[in-house]
Amino acid sequence: MLFRKLLRTALSYKAQFISMLIMITLGVGIFLGFNMEWRTIEVDTSKFFGDTHYADFRLYSPDGFTSEELAAVASINGVDAATRFLSVNLDVENAQNKALAVDVSEDFNVSTFVLMSGEEYDPEGEGIWLSDKYAAANGISLGDTIGLSFQNITVEGEVVGLIKSGEHMICVADSNQVMPDYSAFGYAYISPAKLRGVLEKKILKAMEDELTAAGMGETDAADAAKSMLTGEMTSAAEDRVFCQINLLSGMEKTKLEEAVKKALGKTIMVTSKDDHVVYKEAMGEADEGRTMGSVLPVLFLAIGVLTMVTTMHRIAAREKQQIGTLKALGFKNRRILLHYTSYGLVIGLIGTALGVGLGYLVCGLIMSENGMMGTYFDMPDWSAAVPGFCYPILIGTVALLTLISFLSVRRQLRGCAADTLRPYTPKKMRKSIFERLRFFDKMNFGTKWNLRDLSRHKSRLAMTLIGISGCMILLVGGLGMRDTMAGFLDLLNNDISAYATKVNIGEGADSEKAKALAQELGGDWESVSGISLGGDTVMLDIIHNDNGLYNVVDEANRRITLSDEGVYLCLRLKDRANIGDTVEFSPYGSEATYSAKVVGYNRSVMTESVTMTDALADRLGIEYSPTAVYTNVKSADVAKSDMITGRQDQAQLMESFNSFVSIMDSMVLILVIAAVILGVVVLYNLGIMSYVERYRELATLKVLGFRDRAIGRLLISQNIWLTVIGVIIGLPAGAAVLKWLLTALASEYELKLMLGPLTYIVSVLLTFGTSLLVGLLVARKNKKIDMVEALKAAE
Amino acid sequence: MLTKAANCRERYKKMEIVRFNEVSKIYKSGDHVLRALDRVSFTLDEGRFVVILGPSGAGKSTLLNLLGGLDSPDEGTITVGGKDISKLSDNELADYRASTVGFVFQFYNLIPTLTAYENVKLVSDISPYALDAKDIIAKIGLSDHLDHFPSELSGGEQQRISIARALAKNPKILLCDEPTGALDSETGVMVLKLLLGMAKDLGKTIVVVTHNQNIAKMADVVIRVKNGRIRSVDEQAEPLSAEEVEW
Repeated sequence: MLFRKLLRTALSYKAQFISMLIMITLGVGIFLGFNMEWRTIEVDTSKFFGDTHYADFRLYSPDGFTSEELAAVASINGVDAATRFLSVNLDVENAQNKALAVDVSEDFNVSTFVLMSGEEYDPEGEGIWLSDKYAAANGISLGDTIGLSFQNITVEGEVVGLIKSGEHMICVADSNQVMPDYSAFGYAYISPAKLRGVLEKKILKAMEDELTAAGMGETDAADAAKSMLTGEMTSAAEDRVFCQINLLSGMEKTKLEEAVKKALGKTIMVTSKDDHVVYKEAMGEADEGRTMGSVLPVLFLAIGVLTMVTTMHRIAAREKQQIGTLKALGFKNRRILLHYTSYGLVIGLIGTALGVGLGYLVCGLIMSENGMMGTYFDMPDWSAAVPGFCYPILIGTVALLTLISFLSVRRQLRGCAADTLRPYTPKKMRKSIFERLRFFDKMNFGTKWNLRDLSRHKSRLAMTLIGISGCMILLVGGLGMRDTMAGFLDLLNNDISAYATKVNIGEGADSEKAKALAQELGGDWESVSGISLGGDTVMLDIIHNDNGLYNVVDEANRRITLSDEGVYLCLRLKDRANIGDTVEFSPYGSEATYSAKVVGYNRSVMTESVTMTDALADRLGIEYSPTAVYTNVKSADVAKSDMITGRQDQAQLMESFNSFVSIMDSMVLILVIAAVILGVVVLYNLGIMSYVERYRELATLKVLGFRDRAIGRLLISQNIWLTVIGVIIGLPAGAAVLKWLLTALASEYELKLMLGPLTYIVSVLLTFGTSLLVGLLVARKNKKIDMVEALKAAE
Repeated sequence: MLTKAANCRERYKKMEIVRFNEVSKIYKSGDHVLRALDRVSFTLDEGRFVVILGPSGAGKSTLLNLLGGLDSPDEGTITVGGKDISKLSDNELADYRASTVGFVFQFYNLIPTLTAYENVKLVSDISPYALDAKDIIAKIGLSDHLDHFPSELSGGEQQRISIARALAKNPKILLCDEPTGALDSETGVMVLKLLLGMAKDLGKTIVVVTHNQNIAKMADVVIRVKNGRIRSVDEQAEPLSAEEVEW
């Protein structure tokens, strides 16, 4: 029978019950969803990295590694497997602005791929194993033939397998590209045997060219070249192109560095997977998710629980006489407690169950093949993993909600049955703090009424303010994040990049030739290489930008005219040295250590870097070679050259940002929807509570002759005041939360907080709109006030 | 005071202010039909003290609610001061309540978040003929309690403020639903005396709904209601004063 009562009570308080359910569902859903997101990234990427033997360390040498050197590294105690590895960006022939990163892994136990369809990997095979996403984006099928341009020779092969590789899980051409764009850039694996064939072809061509230049006929030159070619020649070429050794090892980086130095007799640039773009970005995403997961979802969950506290207290108070009746009928306190406590338990269980469903949905929206991350990560398996700590929190939430019910009812059960039977009496009216204001007496009755009502119902006031401020925080945070990102892209697009084409120069290219190419193209150039700064791997960015095509900006996003007197540290390295201090660094692959004065800080777009002019680099005697030329010559008009490994239109690069922006937009949309739902549910619930609590007063006003509209105005005016206060609190709080988030994400990006006027306007309008809508919904109810019924009972 | 009151009654007694003509109020619940008022007809003259008597469920509160514009009849017409109020819209009814009738309830129904003065002053926002709130409160002898909230007043004081609020609108008719129902007899007498005295001083028509036979002894007219019908309408030539009634 009591169960029937429970159902009917739930029906009679349906607005409150639905509000509590929605808030708990939202709270649990958002909390779980956001936390599942980062955990899923960790779990799924770890599995994928494991399946594809993602390298723990990468050794770089611009001169390449010999087989002997590989053997020496492989024999280091603690190295589980090692391979010579080549990854080179090659233009796709007969296609405009399409390129592939072509990988070769000599030992297929390191840095490999998983086959999605086609033939298994064959180290002697002649085919090409192509990224399935690139194939899909470009209409390529198994059995098709593709040609790649490698230093004026064509590497051609049949697509024999479609694959996914951990090394290219985030498939970007270089650090300037933030989002994969498979229609323009993908990756492929070829076997070491095919590489050998390509190298033989290249050597033969070089010899033929030399013999032809010496006056030999083409056919004779070809025959002669073939007869001259030896295995040693090909091996030597291999030794030069394998500039990378990838290895699997659980060693510490410093120990490995020492061991490598000992084994090879020279300092080699060693980077751990933490420095590799794919692993770093994936873990960065997980960290970002964890940071986000620790703020917004907690806010939702806390508001959900607070809603429960306020609402259950009111319901218990309104049920006081029924509780008294049950008591008078002979029901024991324990049974009554159990009955009313079950409300909290039921809401907790249903809300949590729905929340878990919502959590999986939110996680799926972000972390799935067709979700937001699907355009970023290229993985074969997408699961949904729940962090361990979420289980006790979910159980704890249900327990807390049950406890809230228990405590609310226990308060009403105090005293004898006769006490309980007496109606709930609200707190006695006392003069509020507002009445000390000199102009209080001059206020109209509606204002006084609302002010006193607020001072009488402080918890309702607090909850309303939390709801409105929460709504504002989410809106300002979400839209502000978009502004910040848009500002960042604008900075990148206009202030930093003023070029039309970025021409990538291959490693080991002759420095003077590369500079001559830059001059020929009328462009700026940069040289990016790894250095060790206080034991950490950062990039040394040597820039020559007389033409203003590739620029450096300071913390305030103003272009810097680079000084030849010292180096600039990126903002992430700001705490390493003050301006005027001297920093020491040593390029990888060199024994030399250089020191330079810090003359400023710059906002780095992607990597952690130390920036200097070529003039300073020359003066310090640093060896370098340009790695990219920035020019206004269109990519199609850039003449072919051995040095050039790729060309990227600036527009194309910016295009890759667009998918990043669309992910951001989806996130912002989720936040905006969540903010509006939060606002509507919290305000409606509290509005209804306020209406119910003031029902008798509203009925009295109606009897006295107040029109419905006048009473509605009274109710809405309170909402408007609270919205104004909530907005005043929420605006700076939203900006502060955003600033905190940007600080938390600072290890990944150097973003400058930007909040456009539209963000302020939209946030305020949406919050006011929500508040006004809810106010009107509640105010509409006053038409249904039954004056006769309301005034019958005793106060 | 009594002589003055008698004079007032004499002066206004032949001017009709209320007319109920074949008024019915019907409540339907499924197949069950309840005629709370069944073709009720009567008239009231201005300035009279009218008591509507009857047991619980007789229909007396329904009658009062219809007269007060809290509800509308399903059949018949109600005319107040020559105006038919039975077909008024919600807003017109609100205006009617604001200008023509004042209510005094058994449980006072003061706004708990407004002080005594503010509760009385409240009606000046809506009534076109409102009287000065402080004057009225002075007349009921609660000038010292202007800044008190209802919860700081006794039951009798609250009811006096409630009367002051009803009178402050300067209505033509004062409608009282068991005005002494929640008070002890001593306070009840005091409140009734005040109610009658002030209403008569201001020349108001008073309609009191009660099941208390003793209050009826004070009335000029006693309307007895039973089962939704008027049983009798009796004029009392010599009504008793509040002090004369045995409680």
